[in-house]
Amino acid sequence: MRTNLDRRHFLGLAGLGAGAAALAACGGPSTAGPAGVVDTAGIDFSGVKPAASIDFWTNHPGKSQDVEKAIIEKFHAKFPEIKVNLVTAGANYEEIAQKFQTSQAAKTGLPALVVLSDVWWFRYFSNGSIIPIDGLVKQLDIKIDDFQKSLVDDYKYDDKQWALPYGRSTPLFYYNKDHFKAAGLPDRAPATWQEFAEWAPKLKATSGAQYAYIYPALAGYAGWTLQNNLWGWGGSWSKDWDITCDSKESVAALQWAQDSIYKDAWAGVSSKEAADDFAAGITSSTISSTGSLLGVLKAAKFNVGVGFLPGGPEVPSGVCPTGGAGLGIPSGITKEEQLAAATFLKFMTEPENTAAFSAATGYMPTRLSADMSAVLAATPQIKTAMDQLAVTKVQDNARVFLPGADQEMAKAAAKILTQQGDVQATMTDLKNSLEGIYTKDVQPKLKG
Amino acid sequence: MALPNLVLIGTFTYWPLINNIYYSTLDWTLGSASTTVVGLQNYVTFFTSEDASKVLGTTAIFTLVTVGGSMVLGLLVALALNSKVRGTTFARSAVFAPYVLSGVGVGLVWLFIFDPGYGVLAWVLRGLGQQSPQWINDPQLSLVMVIIVYVWKNLGYCAVVYLAGLQSLPRDVMEAAALDGANSVRRFFDISMPLLSPTTFFLLITTMLSSLQAFDLIRIMTPLGNGTSTLIYEAYLQAFGAYNRAGYSAAISVILFAILLIITVLQLRFVERKVHYS
Repeated sequence: MRTNLDRRHFLGLAGLGAGAAALAACGGPSTAGPAGVVDTAGIDFSGVKPAASIDFWTNHPGKSQDVEKAIIEKFHAKFPEIKVNLVTAGANYEEIAQKFQTSQAAKTGLPALVVLSDVWWFRYFSNGSIIPIDGLVKQLDIKIDDFQKSLVDDYKYDDKQWALPYGRSTPLFYYNKDHFKAAGLPDRAPATWQEFAEWAPKLKATSGAQYAYIYPALAGYAGWTLQNNLWGWGGSWSKDWDITCDSKESVAALQWAQDSIYKDAWAGVSSKEAADDFAAGITSSTISSTGSLLGVLKAAKFNVGVGFLPGGPEVPSGVCPTGGAGLGIPSGITKEEQLAAATFLKFMTEPENTAAFSAATGYMPTRLSADMSAVLAATPQIKTAMDQLAVTKVQDNARVFLPGADQEMAKAAAKILTQQGDVQATMTDLKNSLEGIYTKDVQPKLKG
Repeated sequence: MALPNLVLIGTFTYWPLINNIYYSTLDWTLGSASTTVVGLQNYVTFFTSEDASKVLGTTAIFTLVTVGGSMVLGLLVALALNSKVRGTTFARSAVFAPYVLSGVGVGLVWLFIFDPGYGVLAWVLRGLGQQSPQWINDPQLSLVMVIIVYVWKNLGYCAVVYLAGLQSLPRDVMEAAALDGANSVRRFFDISMPLLSPTTFFLLITTMLSSLQAFDLIRIMTPLGNGTSTLIYEAYLQAFGAYNRAGYSAAISVILFAILLIITVLQLRFVERKVHYS
């Protein structure tokens, strides 16, 4: 039977090809030489005039769009010769990274200043996508010594500074004061998870909430929040570049977490955003970013308490990771744009602006000299986040430096916490995955 | 007259397709300005990895269930809409409406429905004394959730196409069969279904192609792709998700293209023989 298949074939194949077109729409790479970091020797801004207009790509961390606009308006008043265009480049760190990487591949449309999260900046560095800012820091007299040392040091590599801290956070322990009071518990966060395990049944019995504690959504940085549990039990995702997620300490930490859901039945796992679940009264406590603080305080119809992250049986304190995002300057733009971006970067991170950003979001002030008295008077809970900074640790390499490690950790956590998978076997599989990523995607670049 | 179309399709479909095949031979990290040629290594890596069976299995389940579900339910709905009862005009619009809605919007709304904490479904289940399943966190249930929403969104398309097919069936044949004593079930299977075979064949091809390229609902409802990573979503995750393996992603896209091509050719060559065009 003969039909009009020729036309259908043609259109069908056109449809088939559409699925393959996304990558090909990018500009494409060169096979001329090895990938590598930026040649920093050639970065000299003497005699360069700042560009008249630049784009600032942000995901507005902590719902910061209004305060970002306000800071930009202040910048325009002070530097009328530089116009900053605020661009919403994604809803989260991953979306902004996706847009940035795609523009990098397309070799067009790059911003002058971009928000880069803890798990992305190293990739930008290793791909040569951002410039070291040491020269600009010197030229513009940016007071690096006035930044919180632990936060600014997060972006140091190879003796160079690759970004400055912006929306920096730690996880905080959020608790429903009313639930704690009704259960006869002290008005504070538990010192350790063992102490909370004693409190949890009382909370569950008296609060009316579904859970005494809810683990943060696994798609929302499980590798970050579970870092606390691993460290408390003496475990880790990795030690330097050795993957240690299958150690007996790490396995014990996650076994305890699994038991809290399946055996003891007082904990659950958030599906989308633990802070929202907490504010909605679904759970009596959770862990979430300091960047969620203002949102929780606004949304919750109960008294909110915050505290340091609980310790574990092996390490009772100092088990809180740093996190959040910084600001970096792309390499694939003109020097004029880079200088204008650095001028704006300096302004954005001035003490009064970091205080304003902190007041609007709950993120930590990144400058030591930031006057936080008015902020703390209005939102005293921010003080807890600031105090906790003194006992934070830099995250394990495996989480922040291995591309895709966060995804793999989230999948492993899902298997353990939502499917009751065997913890040891899951962690062994995770170790194999992470080692594969390290061997293929990171080790060659470190040697290069 | 065909030249402008040929130029457009060549530029925006075939040229990217050829480019993509070239990229699939590279070890290219997205964002990196340079790369190395690795030949077929990306294909070897995919087919020798544990992920291959998972991704291909998920793709097969998602495609078969969504195509089958959309077509069977679409046919049942079309049969209902073809009857002479009050309110069919409104029902037709209601059934077709989800198909033209934005996948992103549909995904977000259904996420609220499925949310185990404060979703409508969880609220109903709690009223019945039951806990909500972990639709979003459990990879197996995530796949079920996405399939349900995909079928809900797309069955209207099948229903409308089937309805058009049903309404064009020759009445004289049906009446003759009824006069000969054939009951409605027999008339449906022995007359309607064979006469609907061109419609079924058309739907089979179009729904399978769109199902294999389903993206928006998966992206919105399960951003990690945990349990829902079909070939096209895996290609997205590998390049634009956390991994940035652009060459590897291109290889997965080429594999998807090859599968689509084979399925389409097989359908045209073998399934179409069973189609009654008149």
